Order: sequence, then C-alpha cells, then structure tokens
Amino acid sequence: MSNATKTAKRSDFKKYFQFMWRSLNIQASWNYERQMNMGFLYGIAPTLDELYPDENDPEQLAHKKEAYEREMAFYNCTPQTSAFTLGLAASMEEQYAADRENFNPETINAVKTSLMGPLSGVGDSFFQGTVRLIAFGLGISLAQQGSVLGPILAMIISIVPSVLVTWFAGKLGYTMGSKYLTKLNGGMMDKLMYVCGIVGLMVIGAMVASMVGLTTPITFASTGLVLQDVLNSILPNLLNLGIVMLMYTLIRKKVKTGWLLGICIVGGVAINALGLLV
Amino acid sequence: MFVTALLLGLVGVFCILDSRILGRMNFERPLITCTIVGALLGDLQTGLTLGASIELMSLGIVNIGAAAPPDMNMAAIICAAFAILTDASAETALALAIPIAVLGQMLGVLMRTILSNLTHVADHAIAEGKFRKAWSMHIVWGTVLYSLMYFIPIFLSVYFGTDLVQKIVAFIPAWLTDGLNLGSKFLTAYGIALLLSTMLNRDLTVYFLLGFFFVGYLGLDITAVAIFAAILAVILTGLKYGKGAPAAAAAGAAAANPDYDPLEDDDDL
Repeated sequence: MSNATKTAKRSDFKKYFQFMWRSLNIQASWNYERQMNMGFLYGIAPTLDELYPDENDPEQLAHKKEAYEREMAFYNCTPQTSAFTLGLAASMEEQYAADRENFNPETINAVKTSLMGPLSGVGDSFFQGTVRLIAFGLGISLAQQGSVLGPILAMIISIVPSVLVTWFAGKLGYTMGSKYLTKLNGGMMDKLMYVCGIVGLMVIGAMVASMVGLTTPITFASTGLVLQDVLNSILPNLLNLGIVMLMYTLIRKKVKTGWLLGICIVGGVAINALGLLV
Repeated sequence: MFVTALLLGLVGVFCILDSRILGRMNFERPLITCTIVGALLGDLQTGLTLGASIELMSLGIVNIGAAAPPDMNMAAIICAAFAILTDASAETALALAIPIAVLGQMLGVLMRTILSNLTHVADHAIAEGKFRKAWSMHIVWGTVLYSLMYFIPIFLSVYFGTDLVQKIVAFIPAWLTDGLNLGSKFLTAYGIALLLSTMLNRDLTVYFLLGFFFVGYLGLDITAVAIFAAILAVILTGLKYGKGAPAAAAAGAAAANPDYDPLEDDDDL
C-alpha cells in the first residue's frame, strides 16, 4: 500500500485539483443501489489516506475503516456542484480527525444528505437546463447552416462554466464550509433558479419559433389562397407553437414515451400522405 | 469495415466517458457525436445535419438523478454511421434512431444494476482493509464496464449491420421518406415539449411566449434571444429581490430567508 508510507501533506493546489477532478468523475460507477456512493468515496479517499496514514497502527486502521465505511453512504448530486459537498466533507473529516471527542461524525453524512437536494436542484437546472440549452441552441442553428463552428461553440459554452464552477465549488466548500451554507439555503438559491428559469424559457420559446419548421402545403384552388400565407399574417410560426403545445399537453397527461414516439412517426407518415402538413 | 467499426466503437467510449468521468461536459450529445462520426468517415456535412436533427429531437431528454432515458447518444452514433456508410437519407437514419435509443436504454438499466454488485465488493474490501481495491471499483471497474457497454453494441451493429441496412434502404419508397421527414419534425416538437414540461410554471409562461414572439415578429436569432433573456433576467431579479423591491416581494423574500430581520432594512430606506 503505497499510500501508507506517504506522510507529506498535499499542497492546496493539489487538494483543490483533486476535489475538481474527483467530482467530475463521480458518475464512473453510478449504480441503482447507492448511486454515486463509490464516486464520493473516491473523491474523499486522498483526504482519508492523509488523515490516517499508518495502517500498521491498529487504532488508525480502525479509524480509517470506519471513515471509508462512512463515506460509502448513498449519494447523488450534480457532479459540478457536488465539489462543494466534497470540499466541505473533507474539511469536516479533518476536523473530526483532529478532535474526535467533540465532533459527532454523523453530522458529516447528515450534511452530505441535506446538501444533495438543493445542490442538485440548482446544478441540474443550471447545467442541464440553461447552459446546455444556450450551448446547443446556438450549436444547432449554426450546424443547420452547415458550419462546424456549431458543435465547437456548443462545447466551449458547455466546458468553461463546468470547469470553473467545479473548481470554485470545491475550494469554497473546503475553505468556507458551514459558514457559507446559510447563504446558499437562503435567497441566493431562489435568485439563481429565477434567472435560470427566465433565460431557459425564452430560449425554448425562440427554438419553437425557429427550429420545428412545420408548414402546410394546402392551397384553395378556387381563390388561389395559400393557407400558409394566411397563417403567417395572423401569427408567424403558429403551426410550430400548436404542435409543441399539443405534445406538451400529451406529456402532461402522462402519455407513455413509447406511444408518443410511435404517434410521431406513424402520424408523420399518415398526415404527409394526406397532404395536410410538410 | 473492421477498422471503421472499431473506430466508431471508440467514439462511443469517449462519449460515454464524458458523463462518467468528465462530469458531463456535453461531449455526450448527438450534435457532437454525429459531428465526430462525420469527420471520421469523411462526410462532415451529413454528420452536422444529422447531429442537428437528432439533437433537436433529444433536447428534452435530460440525464438527471436515477432516470434512464432513451439513449439518444448511442442512437446518434449508429445512425450517423449508417447514413454515411450506406448513403441512406437523413430521414431514414432518423427513423432508425428511436428503436436503437430504446435498446440502449435497456442496456443502461442492466448495466446500472450490475454495477450495484461492485458496491458490495467495495464494502467487503473496506472491511478487509483493502482501501485501494475499494476505490478502484469506482475509477477502474466502473469506467471499464461503462466503456464496454458502449463499445460492444456499436462495434457489432456497424460491423454486421451495415450490409443489412443498405439492402433495406434500397427498398424505401419516396412517400415513406417524406412521411418520416414530417415525423422527425413532430419528434423535434416532442423534444422541445419535453424540455418545456420540466421548466414551465404559471409565473414564467410569459417569458416562453416572449422568446417565441421575439423570433416570430422581430426575426431575432437564438443568440440574440439568449443575450436579451440574460439581461432581462438580471434586471427582473434586481426588481424582485433587490433593495427597492415592493413590499409584497420583500415579504416573500423574508419568508424564504430565515435570517431576514425586517428592522435591518429600515436603515437602507
């Protein structure tokens, strides 16, 4: 066990880098039983190895086993924001190792569990919602014009905030720890969700208008009236909005995904054959 | 074909590892995977076009929490490969995407069940004091198993499936291709609606419509809408949560923030 002989402390930079890297790879063993439990253990393992370096000392070995077991608890969080929990848990493990009398180790898992929800909420809606939407909204519109800049831009917009947030979340969790928690639970989370909601929904609205591309070929032979022109003069992209809202209603009615996908394909072939929409 | 299948399998591995060990930086999205496949097979344009279409269909499919949605990413890699290798039209390739995605979803569920066993192996390793073995279950075995879950199906379907797909494609009539094209527009609408269903609530509906009308009446593109949306969101947040917020909003903020002390604010007014 090479870790057992290492007594030198990690530098702060190395520590923060490990928080970042080991948060990003937290999903490598995602499983149904305890989800990201092994990922979190891998994240905090260097801290535990540093705190209990001597495995030949039975007392340290027992403490180390106990700590490893503790960190195998159920865990699931957005990787980027999870760095905050990892940093915080690492600093708590250090406090516990320094003062085993007065520190209740159960608080470590309690804090982890209580942070999972809010951090996933804000992390998922920011990364999987807002950032991804903007990145791929722009990416798709460029790619449709045949530009390879589309996917490249989408990647840059995705990667930069991801790396920055993970780095600073880990650092913040470790250095500021519990002092920062009250702030996060208060108004800041609400504000972030509000901003994400507005930007996300406006981009989705713009996508409905510009990316569905539904039109009708119907013309009235007697008057020479083109139905699509009439629709455009009433409200541009009306058909697009109509089909998205129809799908939205079906999803809200909890129609099964498989059915919906089938309806899309079969309905597409049928309606196209009838000459109603293209 | 062996080398092509091998390469495409490795593209699959790279992309699944994005969400496994890079925190999902979005390499694992159809727009990116199709572009990479297109570049590898020497037909970047088809890759871009297909990538944009499949990305639109799968925008609403989000991998969060314990949900295992249809695997549009595996579908995107295989479809882009078929479209380029067999000269199938984009619409035909798109129609293939759905069944492949559902198969990929089943594989994903199976894999996550198998990985539950690694947790028990790690538990035992810790009890025996084999700490390195415990965390290598995560970073080594988790990574390897997820990689195989992507590599094997992609390799097999490209290696054995291309000839078959080519024969089928030759028989597809024009009415079916046109119909599938319309179907892919419905799928796009479905993708966007799915996204909408996770975000829409009564207070924010007006912003969805605002974005829609910005494009319809002002002819703005998505970049412009995103920029205006960000600015608007900052202004509105200032109004809602800022110092000069109306009394009702301030009362709401007070309820949300347990540390709020109404007396403190009086000094600022």
